[in-house]
Order: sequence, then C-alpha cells, then structure tokens
Amino acid sequence: KTSSPRCYIVTVYPAPGPVPKDQVRLYSMRFCPFAQRTSLVLHAKGIKFETINIHLKQKPDWFLEKNPEGLVPLIETPAGEVVNESVITSEFLDEMYPEKKLLPATPFGKAQQKMMLEHFSKITPHLFKISSAKRKGDDVSGLEAELKEKFTNLNEHLVKKKTKFFGGDTVTFIDYMMWPFFERLGMFEVQHCLDHTPELKKWTERMLEDPAVKAIMHSTEDHKTFYNNFLDGKPDFDYGL
Amino acid sequence: AMATEKCFAKGSPAPGPVPKGQLHLYSMRFCPFAQRTRLALNSKGIKYDTININLKEKPEWFLEKNPLGLVPALETSAGEVIYESSITCEYLDEAYPEKKLLPSSPFGKAQQRMLLEHFSKVIPYFYKIPSARRTGEDVSTQEVELKEKFAKLNEHLEKKKTKFFEGDTITMIDYMMWPFFERIEVLELKHCLDHTPELKKWTERMLEDPAVKATMFNMDTHKAFYKSVAEGKPDYDLGL
Repeated sequence: KTSSPRCYIVTVYPAPGPVPKDQVRLYSMRFCPFAQRTSLVLHAKGIKFETINIHLKQKPDWFLEKNPEGLVPLIETPAGEVVNESVITSEFLDEMYPEKKLLPATPFGKAQQKMMLEHFSKITPHLFKISSAKRKGDDVSGLEAELKEKFTNLNEHLVKKKTKFFGGDTVTFIDYMMWPFFERLGMFEVQHCLDHTPELKKWTERMLEDPAVKAIMHSTEDHKTFYNNFLDGKPDFDYGL
Repeated sequence: AMATEKCFAKGSPAPGPVPKGQLHLYSMRFCPFAQRTRLALNSKGIKYDTININLKEKPEWFLEKNPLGLVPALETSAGEVIYESSITCEYLDEAYPEKKLLPSSPFGKAQQRMLLEHFSKVIPYFYKIPSARRTGEDVSTQEVELKEKFAKLNEHLEKKKTKFFEGDTITMIDYMMWPFFERIEVLELKHCLDHTPELKKWTERMLEDPAVKATMFNMDTHKAFYKSVAEGKPDYDLGL
C-alpha cells in the first residue's frame, strides 16, 4: 500500500528534492526499532509516504542540515517541516492525519497511553544492557530477573483490563510503540523471560497478525545477523537487499 | 479548599474524595517537576487543591492511588490519576480549553515536544554538578557541556527573535523549563549563563509572569531547602 521505493543507501547521493505534495517522507534505517515505531504508524494509518534510508555511520551532509542530531526516524512534510524522535513523530502523524486514530480522543485516554509508554521506556534500556552484558560473558541473571518483573507488570495490566491489546480490544498507539522491542526478543535472547507471562505472550501473537506489523517486520534471524554486525562495528544497513 | 500546606506522611488520614469539577494536585512544595504542573494550573486559572506529600514517608493511601508514589500527580473527581510532570501538563491543556499553552497545529505541538526532549538532556546537569561539587569532584567538563547546551537554547531565541521560546507570549515549553532556571543561582550555576544574553533576558521576562510569581520561591528559601536535603532531612514544610 505504501509508495516507498526500493530501499537504497544514501551516502553520496545528492539531496532529495522537496517532499511531494500528497505525502510525507520518512528518513529511516531498516533495522532501527525506533524508526519502526514511526513506520508502523504510517502503515497503520494508511498514510502515503516515501522512505529514504540513511547510512548511520556516514550520514549525508544534507541530512545533518535538516536534522543536526542526525538521528532516525525523521519525518519531513511537503512544507519542509521536520520532526524527529520516534514518539514525537508518531504523535505528530496521528494528529496530522485524522483517519484511523491511534490515540484515544479523551485527554485521560491519551494520558493513560503516555503513562504506559513512560513505564515501557524503563524496559528498553534493559534489553540493550542484557545483550551487551551477555556478549562480554557477564552474569545476566540479575538483569533478567528485573526484566521478568517488568514483563510481569505488563502481563498484570492485560489480566486486569481483560483486553486483547494494551489500550483496548484493537491495536492502538501504545501497542505500536512497544512492538519493535518485542519483535527483537529473540535477537536479544530473552524470549524465555516471557515464560510466566501468558497474556503478554498472547499479545505478541496477536500483534504478529496485525497488517502493519506484518508489512515491515524482520525475522529473528535477520535481526540477529544485523545486530551482531552492528555490535561488531560493521553494520550492514542494507542487509537483505 | 485544603486547610493545610503541610505535607501528609505515612499514617496520615486520606483526604476526602475529589469534589465534582475539581482537581487534586499531589505535590511537594520545592519539587521542580511539580512546579511545572502548578505553573500550568495557575496559568490556565484551573481550580485545584494541593495535597503535599512527605516524599520520605509516603502515605499508604497515596501509594494505593499512585503505586509509583511520584509527584506531581493529579486526581480528578472521576478518580482518574495522572502522573509524570509533562503528562499532567498536556492533560491539563487538553482537558481545560481556556488559555491554551500548546499550539493548536500538530507541527506546533511537535516543536514544543522536540524542545522539551532537548531540555530533558539539560536537566541532569542541574543535579550532577551540585552533587559532584559536594564530593569535591572536578566539574569543569560538565560545566562546559552545560554552557554549550545553554548556548544552543540562546541560539534558538536569537534565531526566532521571540521573547519566549515559541513566540512572543509564554507557552508550555517556557513553563516546563522555568523551574530549573529558578534554581540556577542556588545551584551555583548562574555563571553558565554569562555568555547567553538572550537566555538571561528570557529568565528576566519569566520572573514577570503571574504564574511564575505565584509558584516561585526566593533564593534564600531554595537554599534552606537544599541544605536540609543535603543534610539528609528534607524539610518539606520549610517556612510553614
């Protein structure tokens, strides 16, 4: 459904032109979990967009001019407005494009999603810490125990609410914000941390059925290959192309 | 209206339910994060009651409402609890339409959020540097970094040529940043503003704002509170 062209590395390519009038542009990297959040929102809302993937070790000058921090994801509009940060871009898109709202309409509903996201933001550093500790051969049992506790809290939320997803019985904003990290549990080698959280496991299975998730996901194998190359200092941003 | 500003500790009786159409703010008088919410409440003219919490001995009833036990937290008459300073402020701006602090356009909102994200990287310096000084560490590198970050904020004001960060009137981002600048002198970081004249002028304009005036404390009070914290016995009721 997207109009995204074949992905290409842009290092010495000249600056792309302005964003065509009827779409937005996503600057991304195919394996970045944060950029995946924005991509999920674009797909879920059926927004017309094009993707330009950025070589994160050799960032084009024109990219740094648009966005001095040089991070992906970045959204650019036809008016030349530039928005960065995965959560900020996702909210921006949900507000800009009224069809298929991902955030609830009420102020409290929105606040609830943001509070859940704040909780979840404490989980992501754990995943990276665990995998980097494992690589060094350190003992990760303490970190894994903490991760399991956090997963238990998430599980309890689903048990209490009795809903299929975190914001209700359909996929909403918070589910997409969390998903990229759950897609990588195999890559982080922490799938076993879901062993005692059956509702959370079922949530991951439901997410795997979501069209936006299916449209852009990578297999655990591909994630592992990319991540290992990345950690070895030799990222292959075009892996699989 | 609440009869007391004195903080509620463990063992204290729970306050009554929130009356219809009103709001409870769970706070601590000297918390910069809670001050953000107070600024938004005051600026928007929202009616609320403050319940200050003893953060070292939190009441059980508070932890039941708000398991993380953090301030600021809001409670509505419907029993809805909202916490995290930026989330409370966005909630207030959406739930109370008078005197909007956020712009109406999605890009305008995004600009505010991006600036807040930048500023979130400045905040740790307001803690790291004073704490490193107390243990006699060398803070020169960190001060250089903080000055650089202030220089970026100064540049933002220079480029936009506006009195406040996102226009010629105060908006949400100004209030979100203010509490830390209010404490800059007592934290002995004022010299980091020496080469950022626009940022200095912004602080002077902020000091004229009614909501700032209504929620601020002077340097002596901040000093006394920080001293009590450094001594391990925070005096949450200082001055009462």
